[in-house]
Amino acid sequence: MMRGVRFVVLAAVLVAMAYPLAWMIAISLKTADGVSLRYYGEVWQSGPFDRYFVNSFVVAAIVLAGNLLFCTMAGYAFARYRIRGGKLVFLLVLSTIMLPKQVILVPLYILMQRMGLIDTYWALTLPFLVDPFNIFLIRQYVSTIPTDCEEAARMDGAGEFTILFRVVFPMLKPVLAVVAIHTCLTNWNSFLFPFILTHSASMRTLPVGLAMLSQGAHSIDWGHLMAGAVVSALPVVAAFLVFQRRIIGGLTAGMSK
Amino acid sequence: MTNRRRFVLPPVAWFLLPWAAVYAAFFVFPFVFSFVLAFLDYNPLNVANTRFVGTANFARLFGDPAFGGALRNTILFVVGTVPVTTALALGVAGLMRGKIPLKGAFKAALFLPSILSVVVIALLFKLFYAPGGALNQALAGFGVAGHGWLTDPRTALPAIMAMDVWAAVGYYAIVLDAARTSIPDSLYEAAELEGAGAWATFRHVTFPLLKPAIAFVLVINTIRSFQVFVEVLVMTQGGPLGSTNTLVMYLYDTAFRRLDYGYASVVAYAVFLLSGVFSIIAMRRLRPETAEGRPI
Repeated sequence: MMRGVRFVVLAAVLVAMAYPLAWMIAISLKTADGVSLRYYGEVWQSGPFDRYFVNSFVVAAIVLAGNLLFCTMAGYAFARYRIRGGKLVFLLVLSTIMLPKQVILVPLYILMQRMGLIDTYWALTLPFLVDPFNIFLIRQYVSTIPTDCEEAARMDGAGEFTILFRVVFPMLKPVLAVVAIHTCLTNWNSFLFPFILTHSASMRTLPVGLAMLSQGAHSIDWGHLMAGAVVSALPVVAAFLVFQRRIIGGLTAGMSK
Repeated sequence: MTNRRRFVLPPVAWFLLPWAAVYAAFFVFPFVFSFVLAFLDYNPLNVANTRFVGTANFARLFGDPAFGGALRNTILFVVGTVPVTTALALGVAGLMRGKIPLKGAFKAALFLPSILSVVVIALLFKLFYAPGGALNQALAGFGVAGHGWLTDPRTALPAIMAMDVWAAVGYYAIVLDAARTSIPDSLYEAAELEGAGAWATFRHVTFPLLKPAIAFVLVINTIRSFQVFVEVLVMTQGGPLGSTNTLVMYLYDTAFRRLDYGYASVVAYAVFLLSGVFSIIAMRRLRPETAEGRPI
């Protein structure tokens, strides 16, 4: 097909993708007295919306730290050490990545309830500290690094922890960037588990709070709702505009392979 | 070397411990527990009366019209969205071939919906489909009467499906585009020299070489689509008249609104089984490719 035609069709696709989003922003800005940020101010102050924001940030930060640390440890161990049955365990873990998590929804809820952790940051973070997909990514990456540096460090008498955190860790930057992107996005947008594991408004994350806002008994108007939606998407969109190439690469890395 | 590695087993144990603890407590244990739950009559408000009911929960599944409806809707959703999304994604990926002005902007716009929360997208489209929403306003411009897209049982599910295609197509287009960059340009030049048209080029160059990537996209999207829930919860709550009730929506209803944990576990296993089949196919498709040793 001629390049000009392809460009025109792509431009039409661009409009189809961008139009609903632009419309969402337009609705959030159009108030009774002209274009203003009034809805934004009101939705932010409408009870716990600022709290949702803080919750989302705290939860994402804890889950990110856990994944960077623990997945690196496990991924490195699976890549470098001979563990009896290690390969089998790794394959089993791998096969659970794609299984629907809904299967553990009810039992996890019962578990958290019995432990008295419903409505706490514990419930929102503990189960998500180590994502097997991240272990897989890190293991694959470590396998492609030559062992020379580690051997040299070992010769110098470095312990295994020193080798991992001083020698290997700095070399993992590219894959850790992918892990960070994948973890932050998944967590920031996560709905089902935070929805089930919290009851009170003060512990909701942004997506859950937003969904609740739309179905409350005194359901609010669309202008405020769209302002809330824009606010909740803002950090992600900002990060996307800055790290666009990294993010696209990172989120399609595990997929196209 | 092997010997020394055997000796340093303790550090390995430490490396694996945090993952193993979290995985055991919050995945393996609930997973096993869910299997046990499926054989119990378990009401959280009356735990003392928990009884073993054998396979009664499973038997109930077959005589449950609400489950049948949810299963039918979910299959309709998967069958109606996945092929359309894949075909459109293929088309868009094909358009992005070679040097195109503003390619970065196209990619960004295509990718944007996949970084947004499904809640945001669902709210946006709930308003889009609303009686006074953008869709009806646009239709009015053509003299077409407005329609309650989400309140008519005939159009509610298709409306949600259309939204899903909109939200998913860009991501898969980018994935397929990434896979397509591995096709050498010389093949396209050769096809052009032979006088092959757009369709012939697609049919004989792009499609055969993209087959593994297409298969993978199909499988991943199918697994994801079997779990459709947030859209339904935000937009229709499964209504009107159960016309958008999906398996996971029904699972949520059974567990957290009717507090029937045992039966909910059985419904969960239905979702599990359906997508488990596709996971196995996905793994099969993946294996020969990873064997080629392409790093991440």
